[in-house]
Amino acid sequence: MTRWFEDIVVDEAFPLGSHTFSAQEIIRFGTLYDPQYFHVDPDAAGHSHFGSLVASGWHTVSVGHRKMVDALFAEEERLRALGKDPGVSGPSPGVNRMDFKAPVRPGDTVSYTLTVTGKRPSNSIPGWGLLFNQLDAVNQHGELVYHAELVGFSKLRDHRVPLRLKLLLALTKIPGLGKLLQPSR
Amino acid sequence: MNPITTNRRHYEDLALGEAIDLGHVTVSKEMIIAFASEFDPFPFHLDEAAAKTSLLGGLAASGWQTAALSLRLLTDSFLSTIASMGGLGFSDLKWRKPVMVGDTIGGTVTIGALRRSRHHPERGIVTLEFDIRNQNAEPVMSMRLANLVELRDPSVPLTEAAE
Repeated sequence: MTRWFEDIVVDEAFPLGSHTFSAQEIIRFGTLYDPQYFHVDPDAAGHSHFGSLVASGWHTVSVGHRKMVDALFAEEERLRALGKDPGVSGPSPGVNRMDFKAPVRPGDTVSYTLTVTGKRPSNSIPGWGLLFNQLDAVNQHGELVYHAELVGFSKLRDHRVPLRLKLLLALTKIPGLGKLLQPSR
Repeated sequence: MNPITTNRRHYEDLALGEAIDLGHVTVSKEMIIAFASEFDPFPFHLDEAAAKTSLLGGLAASGWQTAALSLRLLTDSFLSTIASMGGLGFSDLKWRKPVMVGDTIGGTVTIGALRRSRHHPERGIVTLEFDIRNQNAEPVMSMRLANLVELRDPSVPLTEAAE
């Protein structure tokens, strides 16, 4: 979430809102990214085991991502309105797992919920932390549409450059001495 | 009988280790902004100046767009040629390097596993290992996709390896 890494509460669930999928947008996404017949052709889709047009799983997931981004921006605004300094969320290194559980048909309304299930400081990028996020999408019948386990970056508020590194950096600024301290090329 | 897929390759026709050449696609600034505006409106996917100061270092495609474009390549080269019954999900998706404006991405998908469904004898599950690279052959994304494929002859008994 758009909070500093330190302020993120593990296991707090954030409802992200819902989205109703029209046949038109299912076909548009399918035509661009996943033109299998059951994602683009309502008549042909009748012959599939789905029995009707269904959304590409990647479409449902992309909409879920949009819902999460909107919630991050809303949280940022809420914190600013309270006179607080919002945190910084970064890009995602990946997705551990994504299970497509139920198809999404035209007219279905999918509701999304995000839960941070764990966090730790990043080993590879100083000043940033890793968030382990769970995203669940449920349709209007209460059926699970997909379950996702995602990883995201979040900036640390209290990151301090280690004292030894600061000292070394300060020393490199002294004329003459800086060159001696530079690693040899 | 499904008239759409009857003449396509079925589960029985797929081989473990089969490599599928995806071809490639060049990602333009317009494509990046169009996808990001709809699904991923972070400044580092929309605005060049904001992107320069971000972790990505420049205007880069949403990771979900990289995944969707890779899927499009797989649909054209493979999924539309088999009796596909849709995706079950994926695992270990890693965005290894950002896809920047003008990059050309493509690569290979390899069949990493084939197994029958225990509950649905007419269904098989094919595991597809993605290795997506840019024009400098640097890996940009990898993942393991599980996709359902129809059997031509479901009466063949299941082996113990079925799930």
